[in-house]
Amino acid sequence: MTNPLLKIENVEVSFRTVTGTVKAVRGVSYEVAKGETLAVVGESGSGKSVTARAIMSMLAENAQVGSQTKIWFDGEDISNFSDLQMQSIRGNRISMIFQEPLTSLNPIYKVGEQVAEIIQTHRPMSKKAARQEVLQLFKEVQLPNPEARLDQYPHEMSGGQRQRVMIAMALANKPDLLIADEPTTALDVTVQAEILSLLKDLQKSHNMAVVLITHDLTVVEKTSDHVVVMRYGEVVERGSTKDVFENPQHPYTQHLLASEPKGRPDDLVPNAAPLMQAQDMRIAFTLAEGGFFSRKYTELVAVNNISATIRAGETLGIVGESGSGKTTLGMAMVRLMDPQQGEITFAGSRIDHLSRQEMRPYRPRIQVVFQDPFSSLNPRMIIRQILEEGLIVNGIGASAQDRDEMIKKALDDVQMPHDAMQRFPHEFSGGQRQRLAIARALVLRPEFILLDEPTSALDLSIQAQIIDLLRDLRHKHNLSYMFISHDLKVVKALCHNVIVMQHGNVIETGPTSQVLEAPQTYYTRRLVNAAFNVLA
Amino acid sequence: MTNIDMNAEAGSTGPNLSYWQLVRRRFFRNAYGVAGLIGCLIVILSAVFSGFIAPYDAETKDRRAIYSPPQGIHIFDQDGNLTRPYVLGFREDMDPNTFEITFVPDPETRSDLALFVSGDEWDFLGMRFSTRLFGTTDGSFFHLLGTDSLGRDVFSRMIEGTRVTLLMGFVVMAAACVIGTVVGVSSGYFGGRFDMLVQRLVEFVKSFPDLPLYLALVAILPRRAEPMMIFIMFAAILVLLRWADLSRELRGKVISIRSMDYVRSAVAVGASDKRIIFRHIVPNTSSHIIVWATYQLPEVILLESFLSFLGVGVQAPMVSWGTMLNQVRDFQSFAAAPWLMAPVGMIVLSVLAFNAFGDGMRDAMDPYSND
Repeated sequence: MTNPLLKIENVEVSFRTVTGTVKAVRGVSYEVAKGETLAVVGESGSGKSVTARAIMSMLAENAQVGSQTKIWFDGEDISNFSDLQMQSIRGNRISMIFQEPLTSLNPIYKVGEQVAEIIQTHRPMSKKAARQEVLQLFKEVQLPNPEARLDQYPHEMSGGQRQRVMIAMALANKPDLLIADEPTTALDVTVQAEILSLLKDLQKSHNMAVVLITHDLTVVEKTSDHVVVMRYGEVVERGSTKDVFENPQHPYTQHLLASEPKGRPDDLVPNAAPLMQAQDMRIAFTLAEGGFFSRKYTELVAVNNISATIRAGETLGIVGESGSGKTTLGMAMVRLMDPQQGEITFAGSRIDHLSRQEMRPYRPRIQVVFQDPFSSLNPRMIIRQILEEGLIVNGIGASAQDRDEMIKKALDDVQMPHDAMQRFPHEFSGGQRQRLAIARALVLRPEFILLDEPTSALDLSIQAQIIDLLRDLRHKHNLSYMFISHDLKVVKALCHNVIVMQHGNVIETGPTSQVLEAPQTYYTRRLVNAAFNVLA
Repeated sequence: MTNIDMNAEAGSTGPNLSYWQLVRRRFFRNAYGVAGLIGCLIVILSAVFSGFIAPYDAETKDRRAIYSPPQGIHIFDQDGNLTRPYVLGFREDMDPNTFEITFVPDPETRSDLALFVSGDEWDFLGMRFSTRLFGTTDGSFFHLLGTDSLGRDVFSRMIEGTRVTLLMGFVVMAAACVIGTVVGVSSGYFGGRFDMLVQRLVEFVKSFPDLPLYLALVAILPRRAEPMMIFIMFAAILVLLRWADLSRELRGKVISIRSMDYVRSAVAVGASDKRIIFRHIVPNTSSHIIVWATYQLPEVILLESFLSFLGVGVQAPMVSWGTMLNQVRDFQSFAAAPWLMAPVGMIVLSVLAFNAFGDGMRDAMDPYSND
């Protein structure tokens, strides 16, 4: 690398908070040349996004950049540029793609206008010419039916299409440098694969430099030339992607590389009795469309005549893209949602017609772990209160001491310290919170747990630990799981059997190894490819 | 099992601070909010200990000082030497042409001031005291802010009036909070037809013109009704018109909380509606309710003084800032005795203080701010 396009040296960022100053980034340096992709890897809180925002000078108000910080872009030091000077660079020579395509587009403007605005801000031209250019961009990012898209609003598009619009916006002024901040984390695996291939193609054709921020090592391996590994706001390892993956030096990098979900589910007990059975489940939502006088009601069938059986000790995986109805099916089976039709049998008794009151004796035996550990723990309760709630409600445990003992056992099970009992959820990280959510289910000694994407909100290395934990717990307490996921890697490591769903229908079902190794349908094949090879 | 210590995020565990500790810390970093809190405390303390702070009873009349102007406190004697604080009595002069009476300070009648003197008796929590914060050593009258048409001490009445005004504010705020919370939370939580009916009721209440309603109160109540009765009716009408806003705001908030995963997981462990409402939903709306309440108080104070000034609200012999201002409703008495406007100062002070306190609380309780 003789002449780097972007070179940052000694970047330091700290935030003033109520509880003192937090140093988010301490002395980070890296550089990237034209036509090259640099991957910045690290877990949440490692300072990788903050560094990128410092380059764009788009930091929050309470942030302070260190005095030693130097940022060279194309031979110029831009670290002391004024806001006005930065404006001419941002969106023009450096652009950025954000993680969340749902919130990064303005919902009240048509997408065509939003992209045209960027072009016209930096290069004055007529509306018509700008529109022509946007159309060209939409074709380039392979948006299906690009002419019609120009006049659509963001809500009329899917997540993947919106991310394509964001990329079109970033490319609008032919930038020299593209910063992509977890561009695919919020998307389905299959869509993620498509977006990444698109980015790679565009980089080649435009000869851009790309800084790709991600926590997904598979993505790094497939797309980048160089890699920087960050932890606690510092760079712990750097080098060419090939060298780092073949011969990692720092123990943290080795740990990250070793934390792909692996292992196999333990063997099933042969001829175990069915524990949870669902027969011909059908769930539909009524959608109202049109104006007051032309109101039309359409039925959206989320779950269409699906049957599923989970035997004692079994883990059943439900796989599909978002919107395939897998969560709806799971929630209906544990009676947190009402099915229109179908029979649910739990341990020999029908539970599908029971009222909420009548369900209460079954509640301790059937538990749920939700996807998002940040919203599943009440922020105003301490952990003891959260775990104790189920015990109190169900009259388990004679005294407060009794209940404390049970809570401590559950905390041991999920490998959390006992002093967590006195603390609030906000004091814990995502992975720790998910452990606590699992403890809340475990403390009731359930027989069946519905796991609704318990790992998808977590960093990869923590995912692997949660998967290991779940497998150990299943064995230790003889649990049965229903595991909802879109990530086949995780399913492979945990589930005995799997059901693949699309648009409310079962596409394929069978033992996990059979479905994953010899997928029968195109849809399943696509899911498998996306998960294991990052291929579109 | 992999080593958990390796996780970058394991180190990100925050310090052991509860939500309220964080709120307190954030609040005390905001100088404007703290100033508001101090102002609020001054107003509240003067209401609680009005008997101690005010030199005289609200009804104590100094028959020799009608419309007497404020007496300045002096700390230098006539020779310019520093001395203990004293006030000077007044000599009445009459203008021979206009017959207008003017008060001139009389150096002959000096009364020294002292702390903790004995004066009119006052009751507090069933006990009787006769010590007042300050007064004259010789027991003669002095009037810090002058007197009114009956020779009553304006300063004492203003402090005494804090009680009624603040009581009105707190009663209305508390009752509106309770009604608004009950209606809003139940409407948002249970939803369906019940929610529909309740929301139409809220709209009906909100569409009511309030001023005619207050005036109608005067028409309904008998001429010789007890002042306490009028006070209660007046507060009831204020409550009736004020709970609706809170209930509507809370309803929206509850609807969003209702679908949070922690509520759904409470359902999954078998918790009853009652438990979910009181343990999960109400605590998570508490910051909203508290902020709403702190903004409500100054509004009620302003409304009370405005309506009492018109003669519609609190009635004599109850003393409130509004009824005191009622005495200066004609221009003549305003020109002759501008010091009767003193309660305006207290109104401004308390409204500013409670608003500043409310602003500070809102910023401190914002869950998204961490700066």
